[in-house]
Amino acid sequence: MTDATPAQSVPRRQLPPLPVSLLVGIVLLAPLVVAAVAGSWIAPYPYDEMNIMSRLQPPGAEFWFGTDEFGRDVFSRTLVGTGSSLVMGVAATALSLLAGVPLGLIAGYKGGRAGEAIMRAMDVLMSFPPILLGILVLAVTPPAQWKAIVAIGIVYVPQVVRLTRAITLELMQEEFITAARLRGESAAYILFHEILPNIWPPLVVEASLRVVFAILLGASLSFIGMGAQPPSSDWGLMISEARPFVEQAPWIALCPGFALATAVIGINLLGDGLRALLDPRNTGAH
Amino acid sequence: MFAYTLTRLVYLALVLAVMSVLIFLVTQAMPGDVASMIAGQFASKEVVDAIAVKLGLDQPLIVQYGHWAAGILRGDLGRSLVLEQPIGPILMEALARSLVLAVVALFVVAVVGIGLGVLAAVRRGKLTDQLVSGVSYLGIAVPDFFWAIVLVLVFGSYMKLLPTGGYAPITDGFLPWASHLVLPVVTLVLMLLARIARLTRSSMIDVLQTNYVKFARAKGMPESVVILRHALKNALLPTITVLAIDFGLILGGVVVIETIFSYPGMGRLLLFAIQRHDLPLIQATILIVSAAYCLANLTADLLYAFVNPKIRHGMRAS
Amino acid sequence: MMTAPQARPAVPPVVSPAIAPEPAPLLDVRGLTISYGNARGTLRAASDVSFAIRPGEVMGLVGESGSGKSTVAMAILDLLGGGGRVDSGEILFDGVDLRRLSPSERQALRGDRIAAVFQDPFTSLNPALTVGHQIAEPLIQHKGLSPRQAAARVQDLLAEVGIRDPRRVAAAYPHELSGGMQQRALIATALGCEPKLLILDEPTTALDVTVEARIIELLAKLCDSHRLSALFVSHNLGIVNRICQTVTVLYGGVVVETGQTGRVLSRPAHPYAKGLVAALPRITAERRHRLPSIPGTVAKLAGPPAACVFAPRCPFAEETCRSQPQAMRTDEGGDGVRCWKADALAGTPWPDEDAASDRRPRAAQPRSAPLVEVDHLRKIYGASRSILPWLRRAGTVAVEDVSFTVGRGEVVGVVGESGSGKSTIGRVLLALTEPSAGTVTFDGADLTRQIGSGDQTLRRRAQLVFQNSAASLNPRKTVGAAMDRPLVLAGRADAEERRRTVASLLTRVGLPAAYADRYPHELSGGERQRVNIARALATDPDFVVCDEAVSALDVSVQANILNLLAELRDEMGLSYLFITHDIAVVSHIADRVLVVYGGTICEEGPIGRVLRPPYHPYTEALLSAVPRLAEDGQEAPRILLEDAATAPGGRGCVFAGRCPRKLGTVCDEQAPPVHETADGHRIACHIPLATLAERAAVFPELADGDTRH
Repeated sequence: MTDATPAQSVPRRQLPPLPVSLLVGIVLLAPLVVAAVAGSWIAPYPYDEMNIMSRLQPPGAEFWFGTDEFGRDVFSRTLVGTGSSLVMGVAATALSLLAGVPLGLIAGYKGGRAGEAIMRAMDVLMSFPPILLGILVLAVTPPAQWKAIVAIGIVYVPQVVRLTRAITLELMQEEFITAARLRGESAAYILFHEILPNIWPPLVVEASLRVVFAILLGASLSFIGMGAQPPSSDWGLMISEARPFVEQAPWIALCPGFALATAVIGINLLGDGLRALLDPRNTGAH
Repeated sequence: MFAYTLTRLVYLALVLAVMSVLIFLVTQAMPGDVASMIAGQFASKEVVDAIAVKLGLDQPLIVQYGHWAAGILRGDLGRSLVLEQPIGPILMEALARSLVLAVVALFVVAVVGIGLGVLAAVRRGKLTDQLVSGVSYLGIAVPDFFWAIVLVLVFGSYMKLLPTGGYAPITDGFLPWASHLVLPVVTLVLMLLARIARLTRSSMIDVLQTNYVKFARAKGMPESVVILRHALKNALLPTITVLAIDFGLILGGVVVIETIFSYPGMGRLLLFAIQRHDLPLIQATILIVSAAYCLANLTADLLYAFVNPKIRHGMRAS
Repeated sequence: MMTAPQARPAVPPVVSPAIAPEPAPLLDVRGLTISYGNARGTLRAASDVSFAIRPGEVMGLVGESGSGKSTVAMAILDLLGGGGRVDSGEILFDGVDLRRLSPSERQALRGDRIAAVFQDPFTSLNPALTVGHQIAEPLIQHKGLSPRQAAARVQDLLAEVGIRDPRRVAAAYPHELSGGMQQRALIATALGCEPKLLILDEPTTALDVTVEARIIELLAKLCDSHRLSALFVSHNLGIVNRICQTVTVLYGGVVVETGQTGRVLSRPAHPYAKGLVAALPRITAERRHRLPSIPGTVAKLAGPPAACVFAPRCPFAEETCRSQPQAMRTDEGGDGVRCWKADALAGTPWPDEDAASDRRPRAAQPRSAPLVEVDHLRKIYGASRSILPWLRRAGTVAVEDVSFTVGRGEVVGVVGESGSGKSTIGRVLLALTEPSAGTVTFDGADLTRQIGSGDQTLRRRAQLVFQNSAASLNPRKTVGAAMDRPLVLAGRADAEERRRTVASLLTRVGLPAAYADRYPHELSGGERQRVNIARALATDPDFVVCDEAVSALDVSVQANILNLLAELRDEMGLSYLFITHDIAVVSHIADRVLVVYGGTICEEGPIGRVLRPPYHPYTEALLSAVPRLAEDGQEAPRILLEDAATAPGGRGCVFAGRCPRKLGTVCDEQAPPVHETADGHRIACHIPLATLAERAAVFPELADGDTRH
């Protein structure tokens, strides 16, 4: 019996203040989402319009962030590339969640042989360094962006499975799960109504981190020529293409670099904010 | 501890066996077959078939795998098709260079990252803490290749302080050797620092709230002893694990960074093999890289068990 | 910060030259006010707390959760942390106001002249350092000993706190020691620099009763032999009675009463102290007795109290109490009370629970078949088969060959310490864990098989009330939603009717029906436990397992819940399996008791029989270890057990390793025979029943005639 503060009858149902990091994250991400959806319409130039007359132009009134070696407008390319870069992260993460969460739930809830088999398979997958697994998948066939997405998705499945299983196992020890078993609930009800609502807050936080890693990994794959293919304006690819000209025209790499940084910081802050927001202790009394 | 290590080694062998099968099968599905590559673009079908028979490529997959696996167990990794050399020595050389990169980078990350993490935890919520977290955000916000490009631009092209790529063996003298390492190491550190610092900070904060830290303060221990002897020793456990895994990652080759700095390590070798469709080289490289990664993971777990007396002794007892 | 009323010289003289009949107090706390602040506001943790401890005196600081007792202790140590702040007041130690010292001066005092022992020995020792190292640290820090000198001193200290092989213990890591040994090591650490004052913050709360008895004995002996003063923070009045000369009672951060321990506990003056003493469960053979309880919960204060802090819960409160803060009134003997009605209430006891005992208990049905039958139950954890020989494990025996029955409408208590297997028995009975061997028959049907085949109807007839009221409710579901599900599963389709049932169940357990809309974290511990009980009742069960159902609650709330459980049993004819470590609690509710040790039943029988001789040697030790108040009668000589325990699963008697009456090798090699008497009293022991019966009663005040069976 410590002097822990017992919950008191306080004014109830007051909405908790939104975490600052959440707000900043949204502010950073909003323009990116707009660019991802409407990039090709708002871009001042078509992303693949070459103009030999204005190669490697520095930033100026005509081309806000300069042009690349083919005279393409860097700003327009970055805008249009938003979709490609973000989709890569989000789709790959969605894929890993789609495959990983059910597997993790089964492994955690059922345990036994099935659970053991799942976890051992994940161990093998995890024994490959992440980028290598991607390369292994991509090395087999001609590179394409959707393949990069699948590869990244597979890379992150084991981590999602492990996390889901760990939380499930922890929850299985909780007494309210015991109570559900005692009143004769079915396994499906316990999984979907008792466990899943308690799993998704950490999963959302995890997913936001995964998106960041997936975007970075996708950019890395595009950078080494195994993700998005020219003439796409994926940010990773743009930076890769800018490399030979970095001394004469550093702006080609700068614009997609900044965009990438904004996305990563924005999503990180969003994740931190969500973590604070979804903490059940944050909804009311304390 | 001994039984635990033994179990893990048996398990590691199993995982590597499964992985070798996977690697073999997947790479077999690659376009372009070995025989026609050796024969060259204009060879007739008969020539190609003859080479295939000679190499045993007409045999069932399982037999081919058996040959390959048996070779590896004998220490024979095969011959590179493109380089036309035995793979073993090439790989070892690349591995050694990646090892140098890993050791130096990890050392810097460990010292700086843990230091910053402890500092942030002790000054939690204060300016120092926010500075550290801001700097670590910067490190992870931009991909490693972007940092690499910036570093090359600033220190190589503009200031002409450091070589922008390549590798000099230590036999050329310490200074050339070290100067070639600086930029790749700094890039790696920027990439890894944030995670180590944040992890150390959060586990340090947890440990600082434990009863044994409170009790150490109640014994009148000075704050430096409380933090360095009582708290840090326990807070480092998760950090050690992550450091060991990172070590495995760098050892296996950081493809992007090695490419940018033309550093002849495992990563560049692998990319080279893939781009040139050098099948035996791809298989061998991926196998060795994965094995290195697994070994680093194992070391991480063993180290964790060794540092943590609870596990160490529990295992001795059972 | 310095808002103390009288200005004092910056460096007061160390020894006060006053020629007083009494020695000057070693620790003099004056007007200490502490608050915790965070972004959401400030919370007053202690208001104007004053007390004094004279040299060689042990003072108990008593209160329930939220009383601020630990906060005061931490303030003395300057270890408040977490937004805690001393607003005003003085902490005079040896005449020096600690608040005027610099942090480094206070650090130099800590561990040297003021030492501390905390509640939880399992977490107070650093897992990464050896025990010896941790004990040596303050010696090296404060006394300037070399590591070698310190190591020698550590051995002496460990021997002094009753550790048999100091050399081994000093070299051990904390997890290799039992809880009792760890607490001894902490005490050795505290004694190292020969402090003048010990701060003991609930030093035995986390320990088993038999271990607690030994630690208290040790502390009392050490305080006496070293002329130590101590501040003993505790919620346990029985222990305070055993070790403290004076006692200060805290409620809501305010000192409500202070005085000589014997006087305060036998004739409490403040209504809260009266309630606290009355609500304490005492060993009794009269199960129909209802414990007096204190209604309501502690209110939180943001600033100085504007009325008597206890008024909202006080049965004697008047208008004056609610409008004016109370002042402390101290008599010349040093006894003080913060209640203007104290004199008027001098003879008035705390009101008894009304009407509860009028209810006619249901007639027992001894003839009908028992509801639950447990037959040769065995449970082994962690057994594993593997192809790798070094991974094969025989497992740990949690329950070894246990058989008993629970009749309809009967309450069976299961009493045991940690590791006795009592919780495992409960879990197997509810088919939450599969038994390794043996059967559980529920109302004539094999429970394990029935539930294994997917039949859930039987399962709903047996329910569980948990210990941890917070963890047993899904944090994301309202109380109503949590109680709705069992009704849905029972096939009650009408949502409106279900809502009414939930409301009536809540009312039944003494909560407003409106609580259906609340989330668990919006309730207090006692309220959550009521919700737990209501939820268990929603499936309309016949049988309820209460696993330490009241252990985590404060004494006043505990009495409340215990009474509720008793009422429900009487009204609904429920059977309980009441699992607890507290034999006093069990004596208030159980018809029969099983005393379990090391996974076996060592004694079983009607409560009235188990509390009287003949005793199993373990039962006797357990009973004698129960801390009691002075008014409860003459204390029998305490039987102290060794700390070490043998792992269950061997061939002989599991208690042989700690048994003070061990006969010889027969105890180690043969399972003890079971002596059974006509009234269902069974003792498993090698000692003949007649010899066991020769022992004196631990509770002579329990008259022989009041057996109910």
